[in-house]
Amino acid sequence: MSFDPLSGQGVLFAKLEDLVQWSRKSSIWPFTFGLACCAIEMMSLVANRFDLARFGAEVFRATPRQADLMIVAGRVSMKMAPVLKLLYEQMPEPKWVIAMGACASCGGVFNNYAIVQGVDRVVPVDVYVPGCPPSPDALLYGVIKLQEKIQHERLQLGSLLPVREAGD
Amino acid sequence: MPVTAQTDPVQVVRERFPEGVREVKDCWGVPALVVDRADLASVARFLREEPSLRFDYLSDIVGLDFPRRNPRFELTYNLYSIPHRHRLFLKVPVPEGDAAAPTVTGVWKSAGWPEREVYDLFGVTFRDHPDLRRILTPDWWKGHPLRKDYPLGGEEVAFTFNKDEILEQEPLWKEGVGRTDYASFLGGEISEVEKGKMMVLNMGPQHPSTHGVLRLVVELHGEIVTKVIPHIGYLHTGIEKTAESLSWLQAITVTDRMDYLNPPGNNLGYVLAVEKLLGLKAPPRAQAIRVIIAELTRIASHVAWLSFQALDLGAISVFFYCFREREKILDLMEMASGVRMMTSYITIGGVRKDLPEGFLTKTKALMDELPDRLAEYEALLTENKIWLERTRGIGIIGQVEAIAWALSGPTLRGSGVAWDLRKAHPYCGYDTYDFDIAVEREGDVYARYLVRLEEIRQSRRIIYQAMERLPDGPSITEDRKLALPPRGELDKSMEAVIHQFLIASGGFPVPNGEAYVCVESPRGELGFYLVSDGGNRPYRMKVRAPSYIHLQALPAMAEGGMVADLVAVVGSVDPVMGEVDR
Repeated sequence: MSFDPLSGQGVLFAKLEDLVQWSRKSSIWPFTFGLACCAIEMMSLVANRFDLARFGAEVFRATPRQADLMIVAGRVSMKMAPVLKLLYEQMPEPKWVIAMGACASCGGVFNNYAIVQGVDRVVPVDVYVPGCPPSPDALLYGVIKLQEKIQHERLQLGSLLPVREAGD
Repeated sequence: MPVTAQTDPVQVVRERFPEGVREVKDCWGVPALVVDRADLASVARFLREEPSLRFDYLSDIVGLDFPRRNPRFELTYNLYSIPHRHRLFLKVPVPEGDAAAPTVTGVWKSAGWPEREVYDLFGVTFRDHPDLRRILTPDWWKGHPLRKDYPLGGEEVAFTFNKDEILEQEPLWKEGVGRTDYASFLGGEISEVEKGKMMVLNMGPQHPSTHGVLRLVVELHGEIVTKVIPHIGYLHTGIEKTAESLSWLQAITVTDRMDYLNPPGNNLGYVLAVEKLLGLKAPPRAQAIRVIIAELTRIASHVAWLSFQALDLGAISVFFYCFREREKILDLMEMASGVRMMTSYITIGGVRKDLPEGFLTKTKALMDELPDRLAEYEALLTENKIWLERTRGIGIIGQVEAIAWALSGPTLRGSGVAWDLRKAHPYCGYDTYDFDIAVEREGDVYARYLVRLEEIRQSRRIIYQAMERLPDGPSITEDRKLALPPRGELDKSMEAVIHQFLIASGGFPVPNGEAYVCVESPRGELGFYLVSDGGNRPYRMKVRAPSYIHLQALPAMAEGGMVADLVAVVGSVDPVMGEVDR
């Protein structure tokens, strides 16, 4: 409107909610957390060819305390599930989860005693990415979908936390 | 070193133990001696010590469960002799009522984890084992999953409703890291270090440099690592159990997902074992294609390894260089099979489809530029001061120790043992290719790095030769009972439709028997021990995973070093947790 991007002068009007969510979606910090095969494709996404940095989400953090996106990349075993839950609980709000691949989404080809049949039984999942493993572009699409979702989340202005609605 | 005068191991053992050897079986070319468990310790020691036998390498221990037989369990010790290049199975029956056997950890160091695995999955205990705990399943697990009367399971998630119960039994959660109850972390043992100066560090299962979900409990004295205890099983997938419920053809897909840096290599090992049971040989064109695919994967795996190793040591740019080449190889895989990683391309009787048009041109282009790319890696690392400082003289393991721990692949060759299964026991016609075994003497992290770089060059040589000689002809066996008919035939021939239906719905039977086939994976000896009861699905599939055996030797390499070097040592072993935990 009255903002001129060329000169960088002017005034821009927006809702606070939109601005906060816009900045959140544009600087997702994923959690360095690879489980199995999908983790290799996740690394391919970070590497030069697919380059997640184009979407502002390349700052992988090795500690859950600095991350806001957990990409569950691979099958979750019964032994790992309590650890995964603990890691999720250590992440500060607001936080999101992508279930990458068939195993994390529903157990995949491993419908057996050892594998949790979908990580959504342990932590809430925002985006499911199908594939075994999903190609990096598929995961990239998942990240973009998550960004759309973040943009449309509602803010509680008091705490600046997104409201989780039933069934969300 | 190989001794030419061939002695018959069975004869030698029989002469020494006329009463002890109950029976001799033949497992597709490998003799199997059945001995009483009371005689196990003395026979094992004899097999190792006797100069004409020298079984110095315990590959693996396979547990077998035959509920209808008495005795119910059977342990198969998979022995190999590096100097004599021969293999032998030692079979020990174990009754259900008293499911125990004496440990052989005193004879072969590498028996430690395989025995724990048998204990965990079959419930057979080993007397005098130094550390007999569950290894793949959690401590709170009930039952032994690979027993035939244990259900395959699925669906139910124990964790969601018994979290408190689990937390109570997991020392990590109860005590919290950093508390002083070291004994529970260290599995009840404590080395003689004053507790005041000692620190216990928990590393993993979530750690950026453990190559997956490996957990190490490290005891430190200052910055010196005094003890390392690897905890594995965080990725235990039940692949061996799942394979028992799939047809022989379907089971190929689960082998892909074990060593996920080398999926076609896993297919190859499994498929060769099935073909051995079937008495089938893939056509020459398929053999050559398999070699091309396997060697391309070896290159992809080694560059991925290099990128991770460099990343762990802080050289992030190497990661980007290496993934550039890896992507090109994955593109080739996608061309051939339609999938980047889990190709399932190599199948029983050949390969799923012939190589597409343009594949060879693209492969050749990549191979032509590979030396330049390798020169780039070398320029970044080989004489880099920091790299040398962080890898030279770190994680040393000597020749004798390396064999005692049953190391294989680049990890063994880095210690000066020129043993490569492609040369020692060629498959897919590797004996007709001209290539060298990469060997370094030092046995440190740097030596393993040099070995892997050299292997990339050798793989390139093999690929050139395979492309040059690629024979014409079918790329999969013509036997319609074993291979799916081509799509085109389905429209014309009723017979093809019937074959297609039979294979896709029920699969085909495989003759009764046991066979072990090992291939040289990028990590080492990848072996498949298959048992068939004549049915259309494997009775038992035991995988000899190189990373699993190698990780066991991690304490031997890392103890006494600095804590900062631990990640370098872990990386140099190149563990893939999917294969370790299966």
